[in-house]
Amino acid sequence: MDGFKRRLSDSVQSRLSVTLSLAILVVALLAGAFAFISALDEAHEMQDESLRQVALLFDRQHMTLGYPAAGQVADDDEDSRITVQYLADSSKAVGTDDASIPLPFPLTLADGLSTLDIAGEHYRVLVRTTSAGERIAVAQEADVRDKEARESAWRSLLPFLILFPVLLLVVGDLVRKLFRPIATLSAEIDQRDQQALHPIDEQHLPSEIRPFVVAINRLLKRVAQAMEAQRRFIADAAHELRSPMTALSLQAERLAAAPMSADTRQNFLPLTQGIERSRKLIEQLLALAAAQSIAQRAEAAVSVHAVFRRVLEDLLPLAENKAIDIGVESIDDVQVVINELDLLILIKNLVDNAIRYTPAGGRVDLSVERTEQGVRIEIKDSGPGIRAEEQALVFDPFYRSLGTGEAGSGLGLSIVRAIAERTGIRVGLSFVDEVGRRGLRVSLWLSS
Amino acid sequence: MRILLVEDDLMIGEAIEAALKEASYATDWVKNGLTALAALDTQTYDLVLLDLGLPGKDGLDVLGAIRARNNPVPLLIITARDGLDDRLRGLDGGADDFLLKPFAMAELLARMRAVLRRRGGNAQSLLDNGEVALNLVSKQASTAQVAEVQLSSREFALLQALLIRPGAILSRSELEDRIYGWGNEVESNAVEFLIHALRRKLGSHVIKNVRGMGWMVSKGV
Repeated sequence: MDGFKRRLSDSVQSRLSVTLSLAILVVALLAGAFAFISALDEAHEMQDESLRQVALLFDRQHMTLGYPAAGQVADDDEDSRITVQYLADSSKAVGTDDASIPLPFPLTLADGLSTLDIAGEHYRVLVRTTSAGERIAVAQEADVRDKEARESAWRSLLPFLILFPVLLLVVGDLVRKLFRPIATLSAEIDQRDQQALHPIDEQHLPSEIRPFVVAINRLLKRVAQAMEAQRRFIADAAHELRSPMTALSLQAERLAAAPMSADTRQNFLPLTQGIERSRKLIEQLLALAAAQSIAQRAEAAVSVHAVFRRVLEDLLPLAENKAIDIGVESIDDVQVVINELDLLILIKNLVDNAIRYTPAGGRVDLSVERTEQGVRIEIKDSGPGIRAEEQALVFDPFYRSLGTGEAGSGLGLSIVRAIAERTGIRVGLSFVDEVGRRGLRVSLWLSS
Repeated sequence: MRILLVEDDLMIGEAIEAALKEASYATDWVKNGLTALAALDTQTYDLVLLDLGLPGKDGLDVLGAIRARNNPVPLLIITARDGLDDRLRGLDGGADDFLLKPFAMAELLARMRAVLRRRGGNAQSLLDNGEVALNLVSKQASTAQVAEVQLSSREFALLQALLIRPGAILSRSELEDRIYGWGNEVESNAVEFLIHALRRKLGSHVIKNVRGMGWMVSKGV
């Protein structure tokens, strides 16, 4: 009941349907009552009229009355018959039973119609003075009359009883049809992907909804503008941050080429390392901002092995410095439909992490496999792995595992998460060696 | 070699100009696009280093103006913009290469040499990645430790394929394509055999194997 009430207050469609149905019900009841009463009156009037016709016929034909000797007529239904008698004969009434004729009417009855209680029955009686000067009474039992009148009145209600449910169905259907543009509209908006900010087509919408849609379109436009501004901000920030960093590193490079004492050179090394670290941090910050921006990216069939190759070409020097054996385990290549740059940045960050956190002389393996659930890409290393309680935290920006002396940006896995969320890739972390709890295995599931 | 440097950032410009002078390039440094176009009208340059984020006239517009004048000067874009669009527009607009800030000076000098080499056609007779040098005429290779050693034509073809793009990984089938002509029967293990032979002649560090992917020579600096 509560659910129904809430639906009623929430939905204009339900409210309209229910209100219209109630209105129809009330009108139908009123009209029915009126029709019933007027049909009843009509029936009574017709019955009175037939009494009048009988009396008139009797008068005009100058008929004389004789009563059946037995007081009964064969094949005669006593209840529905019309009795005609001289009013003066009422005194000759033999029985108190209503079946015998004549009936005991009071002699004092005035001309005209009246309803009387005779012999335990209601009678409708018409008294008329004929042209011969005799007074006759034409009578019929009121119960029968009422029954017939009621029946005919009920019959007059029949159309209402049939039409009412039909009308309800028609109203319900009509309301649903009228609200269909709204349902279609909401479905259209619902099915958009998050980058689709083009205005809603307002051509074929009812004029009542159009202002609403126009307002939504204005909002969409503002959102699109805000996003464009954000994108431009990223590009501008890239420029503003990179230029001073370029200047700094170029100057440091020149300084490195200049003659200096061994002591100075000793102190100079951390400076260049610091510059390199800042440069990397800026790159990762921009990569994260770009990964989070919802700009439209072109998708195409991408060879995973080709992406592996580009990642390895970029990161091989890093692996060689730590004498890490890095390679690809899968033999067969797999094609996936994705933005190539997204996949490249995703895998590059994961492999970069793997190399960074694997001790010198360790091993990093890349593989891709088509399974029934989709495509699975795995990056395994022989490092310490990530404990279960830490697995949810490592995706947060600037989170670093305790006890690792690594000078990473702390943004790599945040970039991975941003891209994964945007592209619908599932990321799973586990141990390569589940028993020894060592080695990180990152699994990426791509729906293909 | 005369270089035109178009860069509005003073610190970057100074550093590049000084480094170019040290590398024996004659350098003219201008700070906006209009001056750059004027300089190109009066002077012939061997190479233009063009920043994209210039005041007044954008770098891409400057590039368009240079190419619209049918000036074929080799041009290398240096930019802080890493948008793929900018990169494609730059390369489509007639730039020879694209270098993203921040970069190391050595990288810039290497890219400049590469652009000049490419523009010079095939006249160049030596491929060198800093570790191994290959003479394209005599088919002799040398390293810091090993004096010139003669290579067989297949060894030469394989090493040449690797040295054209140092740092790039080439798969077995890609190397086979370079070694064998159309319709030639490819012998199994031929690539491994040739690499083994090359390593024996030049030292094992010269050609690196990337497990599951292929082989490469290091990018060098």
